[in-house]
Amino acid sequence: MSRWLDRWDGYWFPPTPTLHLSICRVVAVATQLFWFFPSLDEHINFLEKNTEFIEPQLLIRGISALVPRDLFFTPAAFTALYWITAVAGVAALVGFLTRPSLLVFALGIWIFVAHLFSYGDRHHTEAVFCIFLMLLAFSPSGERLSVDGVLRRRRGRSAIHPEEVRDSSETAIWPLKVVHVLLALTYFSAGTAKLLTGGLAWMNGYTLQSHAFVDALDRGFPLGLWVAQHHTVAVFLSVFTILYEVFFFVSLILPWTAPLVFLGGLGFHIGLYATGGYDFFQHMVLLALLLVFIAPDWWRAWLNKYLDPILSRER
Amino acid sequence: MRRRKLLISTTILLVIGLHAVPVLHRRERGTLWPFMQWAMYKNAAAPGPIQAQKRRIIGTTSKGQAEEVTTHLLGLSITVLEARYLRPMGKGDRSAARALITRLNRGRDDPFVELRLESETYTVSDTGIVRQDNPVVAYRADSADIEVTH
Repeated sequence: MSRWLDRWDGYWFPPTPTLHLSICRVVAVATQLFWFFPSLDEHINFLEKNTEFIEPQLLIRGISALVPRDLFFTPAAFTALYWITAVAGVAALVGFLTRPSLLVFALGIWIFVAHLFSYGDRHHTEAVFCIFLMLLAFSPSGERLSVDGVLRRRRGRSAIHPEEVRDSSETAIWPLKVVHVLLALTYFSAGTAKLLTGGLAWMNGYTLQSHAFVDALDRGFPLGLWVAQHHTVAVFLSVFTILYEVFFFVSLILPWTAPLVFLGGLGFHIGLYATGGYDFFQHMVLLALLLVFIAPDWWRAWLNKYLDPILSRER
Repeated sequence: MRRRKLLISTTILLVIGLHAVPVLHRRERGTLWPFMQWAMYKNAAAPGPIQAQKRRIIGTTSKGQAEEVTTHLLGLSITVLEARYLRPMGKGDRSAARALITRLNRGRDDPFVELRLESETYTVSDTGIVRQDNPVVAYRADSADIEVTH
């Protein structure tokens, strides 16, 4: 039993520089604030033109059970929520009262996304990213690159609380590792669903041609129209899609493959966007963070191997 | 630290475990965001012509102004617009057109009096993409009839 617990500890809680998670916080919060932030106009439009939800999400049902609809689901209340979320986001970005700020920010974003998906439409792009934002609130992501960190260091310098200065922590990597596991789960689920429903015929080329054609035509993506007209390319991309989705989890079992799998994932999502406008930007951000921080030694070794000879030659 | 790790471990197991709920509860699987089932684009297409259709509804108001019926104008998502109005109206469903016009005219000073469903079919061919215009399906609010025009 204790061997298993040690393994569990070894996987989830290795000592990690807190700077890594702090960089993740800054990147995740900044992208959510300046790239993926909800459109207030869109939410108000839904609120004004619908007297009830079409398919309310669990979170929205929970709120509705606690607060009457005409009190919370109003343009005024959503405008207030919008600004509270934005202010909490700025505080989380600069790391001021980091944990509570992150919690309020993540909760606000969850409410906005769940609200948007309560009118009969839902998408997969936000889910894992929003979970990551929430997990950051329960981790030491505000130790560095933060107002909190500066204040803590000042206190530490005055020797009143020297123990509060933490450059490394055993709890500074688990949110990223959870994201890695969740991405493996979601890709595996997507890949196996294709194989179980469509069978091997999913890779016949016609499937991808059809999907690419419909979406590229609708959204105006010339590369997708090109793929739709090239059967062999579609077969190749279909096989790559299935292999990538089904075998992403290998990066969990064989850590040395992880950076390559993450790089492949970035290429996969860029390709998906370029062909059909499938905007998994949140996944791209997560994959980039995983690429840099899940196996930093890989990068260091790679840089030492290829960059050092160049630099020494220059010298 | 032991206590903190225990709490985090519970959180990790919970976050991962909750992803099983949409798989096990079929009825609720669409309403458990952010815990979702990831079966997207799962259906295979049979060998055959690669086709796509572009559809839009153009409304004409009593003052003669034409306006495209968008998701924003309706306050509905594209999925609902497709399922409730675009597809049924394409098949000549009058009740869908009537429901749409009622929804659109709620609180409007200049009500819609006519809806036109326009569509084109695009097909991939050896020489490129071929466009074919489909008959326009027009619905007038006062006549309660559907008129198909070319």
